[in-house]
Amino acid sequence: MRIVVAIKQILDPEGITVNRRRERIFINREERIINPADKCTLEAALRLKDAHGAEVIALSLGKPAADDALREALAMGADSAVLISDKALAGMDAPTAAMVLARAIERLAPFDLVLAGQTAADTGGDQTAGRLAELLGLPQVLQALELSLDGGRLQVVRLWDGKPVRAAVSLPALVAVSPLAPPARYPHGARIMNAYRQMQVSVWTAQDLGLTPEELTPNIESRGQVFPPERELGTVVEGPPAQMAGEILSLLRMRRLI
Amino acid sequence: MDFSLNEDQRMYVKMFEDFCANEVAPFAQETDHEEKPPLKQLKAASEQGFLGAIFPEKYDGAELDMISYALLMEHLGKACVSTALTINVHVALVGSAILRHGTDAQKEEFLPAMAAGEMIGAFALSESGAGSDAAALRTTAQHDGDRYILRGSKAWVTNAGIGQLLLVFARTSEEAGGKGISAFLVDVDTPGVKVGYREKTMGLRGLVTNTVYFDGAEVPAERLLGQEGQGFAIALEALDLSRVGLSAICLGAAEAALENGTRFAVEHEQFGGPIAYKQAIQNMIADSRAEIEAMRHLVHFAAWLADEGDSRLRTQAAITKLICSEYAMRIANRMLQVHGGYGYMKEYAIERIYRDLRAMEIAEGTSQILRFLIARDQFAPHGISLRP
Amino acid sequence: MDFTLPKEYELLRRMIRDFARQEIAPLAKRVDVQEEVPREVIRKAAELGMMGVPFPQEYGGMGAGELGYCILMEEIGKVCTSTATVIGAHTGIGAMAIYLDGTPEQKKKYLTPLARGEKIAAFALTEANAGSDAAAIRTRAVRDGDDFILTGSKMFITNGPIADIVSVMAVTDPSLGPRGGITAFIVEMDWKGCSVGKVEDKMGIRGSGTSELIFNEVRVPKENILGQFGAGFVTFMKTLDVGRVSLGAACLGGAQAALERSIQWAKARTQFGKAIVHNQSIQWMIANMATEIEALRSLVYRTAWMVDTGQPFTRYAAMCKLYGSEVASRCISQAVQIYGALGYSRDVEVERMFRDARIAEIFEGTNEIQRIVIASDIMRQEGVRISP
Repeated sequence: MRIVVAIKQILDPEGITVNRRRERIFINREERIINPADKCTLEAALRLKDAHGAEVIALSLGKPAADDALREALAMGADSAVLISDKALAGMDAPTAAMVLARAIERLAPFDLVLAGQTAADTGGDQTAGRLAELLGLPQVLQALELSLDGGRLQVVRLWDGKPVRAAVSLPALVAVSPLAPPARYPHGARIMNAYRQMQVSVWTAQDLGLTPEELTPNIESRGQVFPPERELGTVVEGPPAQMAGEILSLLRMRRLI
Repeated sequence: MDFSLNEDQRMYVKMFEDFCANEVAPFAQETDHEEKPPLKQLKAASEQGFLGAIFPEKYDGAELDMISYALLMEHLGKACVSTALTINVHVALVGSAILRHGTDAQKEEFLPAMAAGEMIGAFALSESGAGSDAAALRTTAQHDGDRYILRGSKAWVTNAGIGQLLLVFARTSEEAGGKGISAFLVDVDTPGVKVGYREKTMGLRGLVTNTVYFDGAEVPAERLLGQEGQGFAIALEALDLSRVGLSAICLGAAEAALENGTRFAVEHEQFGGPIAYKQAIQNMIADSRAEIEAMRHLVHFAAWLADEGDSRLRTQAAITKLICSEYAMRIANRMLQVHGGYGYMKEYAIERIYRDLRAMEIAEGTSQILRFLIARDQFAPHGISLRP
Repeated sequence: MDFTLPKEYELLRRMIRDFARQEIAPLAKRVDVQEEVPREVIRKAAELGMMGVPFPQEYGGMGAGELGYCILMEEIGKVCTSTATVIGAHTGIGAMAIYLDGTPEQKKKYLTPLARGEKIAAFALTEANAGSDAAAIRTRAVRDGDDFILTGSKMFITNGPIADIVSVMAVTDPSLGPRGGITAFIVEMDWKGCSVGKVEDKMGIRGSGTSELIFNEVRVPKENILGQFGAGFVTFMKTLDVGRVSLGAACLGGAQAALERSIQWAKARTQFGKAIVHNQSIQWMIANMATEIEALRSLVYRTAWMVDTGQPFTRYAAMCKLYGSEVASRCISQAVQIYGALGYSRDVEVERMFRDARIAEIFEGTNEIQRIVIASDIMRQEGVRISP
């Protein structure tokens, strides 16, 4: 079984603060991580590999730094990794990025399953998985929590309106994995060492994928950003838990609420 | 300048030594390891009059001068810091406040009972949001005819769990800071008073410290101590005296640490003889001994200022507590190191003394607040008025 | 000069940090109260290779060298000193002795299951009369045919209660003294005659079991001689040497955790109408802590590099342990001070960290011994021989 897993490297949202009053985004700590939903996706792929034996190929479209994301995927247990990285691919919009990824996935054919994260924690567009399925002509199952193989069909437990329901799909297919799916395993330390010291990450350029400048012209132009207004919240109690508890109790008592 | 103890004081020292050797020291480890309140030690102390140590005889007190009180605290601290602190809070914080500011009726009602150990006093000033900034306390005492209604909660109330009498500081007026605070003498069993969670602490495990809740507790107006708005000043005065006691406790505990370290160095052999022969050990012992001497004289000078009613006591008590608490911790730390691995084991007294003394740089004014007080005093004559 | 960490080590650090935060940190308080690091935690750590970080993959290890091992100890040291101590005694000295001086057969038989965390190791050198003076040990190993009969007892052995494989130092020729008269052996604790004696009750690292190990005429086959016969002193000195680097790393982790907690608390806690971080006293503490931590970080990682590149490192390893333990104690005590009264409460992590930290200045060679090692190493280059 061949599984292609598309992952994205993002800036850790925990290192970013949004100041709505000043309408600015501050990057306090620049740390690059694998998008959380994509880590769940890798985990889902590796569970299929553990249960049924599979070849897992990790694929990422990004800056050269995304090499680290792919090494982490290798350390977790992926068998090979491909990085699509090229200056010509900078600043793409979502439809164009999906097109580039689809082109790369086609180049990895034959495959049985394409997995992607449902949501990117930085852009939150939720588009990529659906677009990929369309471009690749694959049936798609979104918001997946659990995957298992039954005969030739993939059994999926997915979220529908917030509740888990069962679905089944014939392969090849594309499944988008929810960030609520089981969390990723920790990579074994020896595999971390080996992922960098012994394994390779293939790098593909726009030229390798036969992409033309017309194809790479963005469809969407970003004109600025707007911050939602701050709401009046009432009394904000801040501080460490012990102190906050004391103050809340005080406030409740002062207002004769208890 | 006469540095000798007078005849009474020398007699007291002998009495304190015997008392601590028989009634306190043998139970120190158990008090700590089992986190037992030192009730039997308190009972023995009351029989000697120590629970009314500084009260006048007319209130069944031992009428000790402050130097003798400091000697008492030193010996108690040497034997068991938890017991010593329990008594210091009772006598020097609660007892002295009543003594200085109580009406005759209040003094008669409380001081003899406190001296007899029938009533243990607890000091309720701090709150979860008012530690170093004690004047920011928010517990309120609403004046309602012939009573006050208390609402709020107090944190770190030493002796609350074993006490019958709480000295509570609460806000009686809207005035910000210290000026709006008054002091009250509250029975623990007053409806609306709830003694809550007992703190689990690193050391001082025989000390009983709780959170106390006031939920509309009604306190008769006769229980106001001093005037309305005088509460904060009463608290600060009480803290001056208790800082002297606390410094004496640090001195005693440091002496215990030095004794333990010395004995270990004499008995423990490595590299062909007792480790007392190693210069590194000698340096640790020498520094500790020198610091103890400095502490001793600071404590006695502060105690003397208290006896003289000298206004220099305020700053000197802060200086004494700052130095004694920091030195005592350093001494315990060195003496633990002298013990090597044994110093980390609970069978050895130094292990407990080390944990006990860590509290001293924090309780009753952190070293940081004390530095602020001292600097403020230093700059005041120069027209610079420091605010925290 | 390139000071960047190779990428595989960055990923390793991230993995261990996540593991420590999610799997170990939430249990740290329970580990202290229940006095045990859960076997489940050790198993999960072992599954990720964390029980054999510095050892080659050929022997079940991670192949990450001393550098990787210091990263592990730093990250675990940030969240739970007890766990770091269990792993440290197992990997850093117990199994390490076998890695440094074992034959390929011994490494295959013993190092592999230890590296995989299938068995637990301990290092047994110290005795009641031989602490700093390690050469004064008396445990005897008497030849009997091809075997040795081991008799004696070891004291203060970390992992004593849970160890399966122990590297034991014993006297094989009393007439020769430490040079030539001491041999190291690999002993399996389930052999007849081996038992665990007294388990110590300690101030801190209460999740790490420290005990006596008793050897009552244990038959040790000659295949279990570790290193050269009669050269046990060299084996244990080499092992302790390298063990000090990672202990410095664990201390670095503890200091770093203290700094992080201090920063968060200083931001959040308000007194006198502002966050306490706006007091210069607090800022100075933070700045001083951060500076010492940076200096320690450079020292530890540079020394780890020296180990991994085969350079002489004895002096620097002693510095890592000496400076690391003192920086950790200072930073953690400052953190307690910044937390104020809460820092003394067992509900709060820094309280436990304070008790846990103290042992680092004592075990694996007291800081006095470290100073002797450093001074001796310096003076040896000057042609002067220093004796303890």
